Order: sequence, then structure tokens, then C-alpha cells
Amino acid sequence: MLRPEEMTRAVVVGSIESLDVTIECLYELGVLHLIDFTEQDEDFKIGQPLARASDASQKLLKLRSMIRALSIDSHKPSERLAASEIRKTLDQALVTLDLNTSKKAEARQRIQSLIRDKESEIKVLEPFAQFGIPVEDYEGFETIFSSVGTCRADPESALRSKLASVEVLKDLRKGDLAVAVFARVEDRSEVTRILAEHGFQESKLPKVTGDPSKVIERNRADIKGLEEDLARTESDLEAIRKKFADLIIASEEDLSIEVMKAETPLRIATSTNSFVIDGWLPAAKVEELQASLNSLCCGLAFVETLLEEEGDEPPVLLKNPKPVKPFEFFIDLVSTPKYDEVDPTIVLFLTFPLFFGFMIGDLGFGLGLACLGAFMRLKLKDFPDLQKLGTIVLAGGIMASLFGLFVFAEAFGVPFHPPEAHPDEHSWESVANIPIHPLLDKMVDIKEMLALSLLAGWVHLTLGFVLGFVNHIRHDRKHAFAKVAWLLILLGLFIEIMYIAGGATGTSGFVNDTVLAWVPDADTSVAGINVSITALAFIVAGVIGLSLTEGPMALSEVIGLFTNLVSYTRLAALAVGKGAMALAFNTMLFPLIFESHNIGIAIAGVLALFVTQMFFVFFLGALSAGIQAIRLNYVEFFLKFFEGGGKEFSPLRYLRRHSVATK
Amino acid sequence: MDPTQMGLAMIGAGIAIGVAGLGTGVAQGQVGAAAVGATAENPKMFGKGMILMVLPETIVILGFVVAFLIMNA
Repeated sequence: MLRPEEMTRAVVVGSIESLDVTIECLYELGVLHLIDFTEQDEDFKIGQPLARASDASQKLLKLRSMIRALSIDSHKPSERLAASEIRKTLDQALVTLDLNTSKKAEARQRIQSLIRDKESEIKVLEPFAQFGIPVEDYEGFETIFSSVGTCRADPESALRSKLASVEVLKDLRKGDLAVAVFARVEDRSEVTRILAEHGFQESKLPKVTGDPSKVIERNRADIKGLEEDLARTESDLEAIRKKFADLIIASEEDLSIEVMKAETPLRIATSTNSFVIDGWLPAAKVEELQASLNSLCCGLAFVETLLEEEGDEPPVLLKNPKPVKPFEFFIDLVSTPKYDEVDPTIVLFLTFPLFFGFMIGDLGFGLGLACLGAFMRLKLKDFPDLQKLGTIVLAGGIMASLFGLFVFAEAFGVPFHPPEAHPDEHSWESVANIPIHPLLDKMVDIKEMLALSLLAGWVHLTLGFVLGFVNHIRHDRKHAFAKVAWLLILLGLFIEIMYIAGGATGTSGFVNDTVLAWVPDADTSVAGINVSITALAFIVAGVIGLSLTEGPMALSEVIGLFTNLVSYTRLAALAVGKGAMALAFNTMLFPLIFESHNIGIAIAGVLALFVTQMFFVFFLGALSAGIQAIRLNYVEFFLKFFEGGGKEFSPLRYLRRHSVATK
Repeated sequence: MDPTQMGLAMIGAGIAIGVAGLGTGVAQGQVGAAAVGATAENPKMFGKGMILMVLPETIVILGFVVAFLIMNA
């Protein structure tokens, strides 16, 4: 919590004979974040891939080409195959597959291209079939030439009026006019010009002989035969697919892992007799790694931990308790924290559901969201990100239900009891008398909600500056003290706001009587506003501190801090907005449902209510509440301390989804 | 408060939140288009894009607060 997993720089050294086993051991444990070896010298060179790499890569290449030929890239094997089983059967299967698949795939391709050729011949010849001239007779004369193609307008009269001797054949087809023009060679340019004026597009006749309609007929018969061949080949391929798809996918995965392991030496230093693997590993895992190496490599490989050097940047593995882990999703969206930075996941875990719950604040919608979240968490196992989001929605939904039940006392935008000011408003009283009365009414206690939001903002921002102080204190005292100056200004602003609010809201009254009870009741008037002397003193002290630590330019951001604080009033604004929207739809549609005394209109009203509530209040409300809750964390909170840009911990390891490792 | 004053206050509140909303819309439209472009090129930009995208929202929140203060004055 708050700090990432502690990392130790370590080298694994050993005799070159044990390299294979050591790599195997490292991948199995998955704890070492390798640092690529680049600086070669006389003794240490970049290692050579293990002997089995080339064989495995060749097989992998074959398998991948088969996956393409059989188009099974998205196939999911029904069960996971054991790696030992795969290795036993793969060689034999590859021989069979190699012979069958590639031949069949080639045949399929050949047949498909033949069919395409024949079809394009038919397409070209079809318009000219009516003319009855054998295809070879369109060319090969000394004094006559022909132009064949389609025109948009009829060129016959123009041709006949301009040329002494010309023969025009035409046939109207689907808006286009197929024409064949025969003329003297010396008139070629004139013919081309006239045809161009009529939107002529030349067709290139295929090199075949005989009557076009005969050729077309012959081609159609050929295509029929080819399609039968194609179907036969396809069914052969389908049979192969059925029999081998599981094996191919599983062995592709197994071999990819094999190749990845076998090529690991390319990232490490080796000499004639030894190897050195440099990297980071969690400090808590050093002993575990040494124990595994001892048992697997028989004393030929060791782990040595090194002291951290200046400028070393350890990779970051966030360390949070299980319920908090899904909230790391929000951190990943921005940036990995640096190794010596505070990890704010736990704060997100506490504040996100709270903000979200306050903005939704409705028992019905809250339970709906909780169900949606639970569904995503349980059913979307293949999408880890969505699953994490599901957990977050679940937490937010539960919080929203609690706020809806105990604070706002409403469900689906309808209050448990009508508000005092509007006793005839629709409420759940007509269904059941729920013995819970609202602490806050979204339509009435807006001031109270604004004050609550500001209080939440002050606490959240203060925490942000405290974390900023913690981040800086060890290496940059000046910036750390600047955070203290900011804290003073923030406190001053908050005291002033609470001072002005006085006892106007329960929240400000409570804060003034408890947290700020020490603030003396002395004020002065600045530009017509009552300013608390204490607040003024804090702000002035903060401003002086700020100009000493961060320079006078930082002062321009003081207004920004005030905006940050006011920005939290969006908590109240969204809650009120959502409440008002639900109330508006209910006011419009409830009379239709309950007072129309017409079953048709009532049903239409219920449907309209359902759609509007679902779309506007549930989905849009949840979306905007989620975005605003995360925004308050990202913008107002994170910018006070978070830098990010850390290196993610990515150890040597593999993930098997379709195969099972065997010893 | 007499009705004319009340009406003027309401108009003022309306202008405060309406114009603030317009400002947010204009700013957010431009930032959003750029953020979507950046995210399309590099999905890792999503988080940063979103931060930039929602920054102008504070303007309309300020509008809301001012409108609320006018209505309650």
C-alpha cells in the first residue's frame, strides 16, 4: 500500500552448462525483470540462442502458415493440451499436416484464381455475345480495325455522317450501350474522337477463339466443375481443421514459449564458460529464486544481490491488498508511478466509490449498477480490464445504494416519502411505508450539498499536498516545503469559505464548531467581503512561502487552487442534476400511468418512463458520475503530487491459455 | 424581492450557467478532437487525453456556483 513492491538489483551467475536449466527456472518463477545486456567486451559477449531454437522456430513457422491456410487464428481449443502430449504428437502430426494442408491450400488457391479468370472472361464477353462475331475476328486485318466497348450515348449516326464506310453493331444493356465499330485503318483517329465524345469505354477482349456465347457457355460449365472441386477441397480442409485445429493452436502456443525461452540468451552476457543474467527482482523473492536454482541446477548457478547504483531506476510492481487491486486500472490509464513515488491506488479505492455513490445517490440505480458490476466481474473472465472495471462499478454501485438508502432516501428517482414542501408529490409511500427519512433532499438542501462537496474537496486536496510533501522530502526539500506553503493557502481558502458560510449550512456550522473551532472570530473587510483574519494570515504566509520556494510565477496558480476547490462542487451539481432529471421524467409520466385510467396510455407511459430512466438517468448518469469521480482524482488530486513515468515490472514469464506445462 | 428584481436575477443566473456551458463546450470540443486523435495513434494516451479533455468542465461548474449564488442572494 502506498509504496510499490521493494526491488533488489540482482545478478544470476552460473556455469554455461546450466544456462538452459536456469532460464527454464526463471520463466517458471516469473520474478526476474531482465535488463538487456548491451555492452560487449573481450570476455563477455551477447549469448547465442539455445540449440533447440532453430528447430522450434522452423516448426513454428510451419504451424503459423497452416493457421493462415486453415484460417483458424481465432479458434479456441475445447480443452487444454499437456505440453508433453503436444511434443509427443507434434512431429508425426506435422508430417501429415505438411503433406495435406499445404497441397490442399495451394489447390484451393489455384481453383479460386481459375474461377476468377473464367468469371472475368464471361463479364467481358457477355455484352458482345449478341453480335455473333467470333472473338478472334475482332482483330488481325490489314485495312480494317475494330473498337469494342460501351458508350453512354449512341454514336451510330455521328459515325455514319462523318465516315464513308463504317459498320456499327450495338446492343442496349442495363443503361450502357455495347458497341462494336469496324472502320478503315486510316479513319482510326476520327473514330476514336467521335467515340470519345459519346463516353466510350474500351473493353479488352480475352485471347480466346470461337463464338462469344459458346465461350461463355463453356466457361460456365467449367466454373461449375471448378466449384465442385473447390467444395471437395474445402471439405478436405474442414476435415483437417476438425482433427488438428486444437493441436495446432496449442502447439503454436507451446512452441512460441519454447522459442521465447530459447532466444533469451540473446539478452544476456555469456563468456566461454559462464553466463551473467542482470535484472531486478522483488526483494522478498530472492531466497525463493536461490532455492529453486539450488534444487534445479545442482549448485551451478547463484543469485547475487547488488547494491543500488546512482541513477538506477527499478521497475515498478504495485503492491496493494486484493480488494484494492482492481483500482490499479485507473493508475495504468494514466502512467505507472515512479519507484520512489507514492502509489495512490488506496486513495482511489476510498474516494472513487464515495464520490460516485454521492453523485448517483439512489437505491434503485445503485443496486442496478452493483448488479451490472457483479455481472462484468463474474462473466468477463477473458477481458481482465473490463473485469477490473466491473469490480469498480460494483463498489460504486454499492456505495450509491447506501447513499440512496440512508442519505437521500430514494429509489429510481422517487423519494421514499414526499418532501415536506410538496406533500402531493409521488413517492414510495403508495407502495410501502419505509421507515427511513432523507438526511438530504436533492431538490431542497442544495446549499448543504455544496458545503459537503467543498469539505470533501478540502480533505482530498490536503491529502494530495501531503502526498506531494512525502514524495519530495527525500530528494528535493525546496519543493517539499512548497507543498507546505500550498497547504497553508488551501487552509486559508477553506477557513474563509467556512467563515462566510458561518452557520448557514449544517456542514459549515459543524466544521466551524469542531475542526475550525480554534479560529478566532476576527475579520476585516476587503472589497466589501468579510475576510477572516486567520484565513488572511494563512494565505499571506503561504504566498510568501510559495514565492520563496517555487518563485513568484507560482503565485499565478493560487487562483487555480481556488478553482480546484470549487471544482468539487460538481459532486453536488451532478447529484442535483440527476435528481432533477429523474423528477422531471417522473412528473411528466406518472400522471399518464396512474391518472389516465386507460390501460394503453398507462402501458405507453410505463415504457416511456423505463426508456428515459434507463437511458438518461441510469446510463448517462452513471457514465458522467464515473467520469467526474475519476476526473476529481486525476486532475485535482493527482496533479498535486503525481509524476508517473515509472517502468512497469515485466518479468521473464509466459502465459499458457491453450496448453498445460508439464515437468 | 419584487418580481422584477427576481426576474432579472433569474435571467442573470441563466446567463451565468448558459454562457459558461457554451465556453466549456467550445473548449472541450477542440480538446476532445485532439485527444481522440492522440488516443487513436497511441491507446496509452487515453488517461492523459481524458485529463486534458475534462479540464474545461470546471468553467461550467463555476457557472453553476455563480448561478446558484445569484438565485440564493
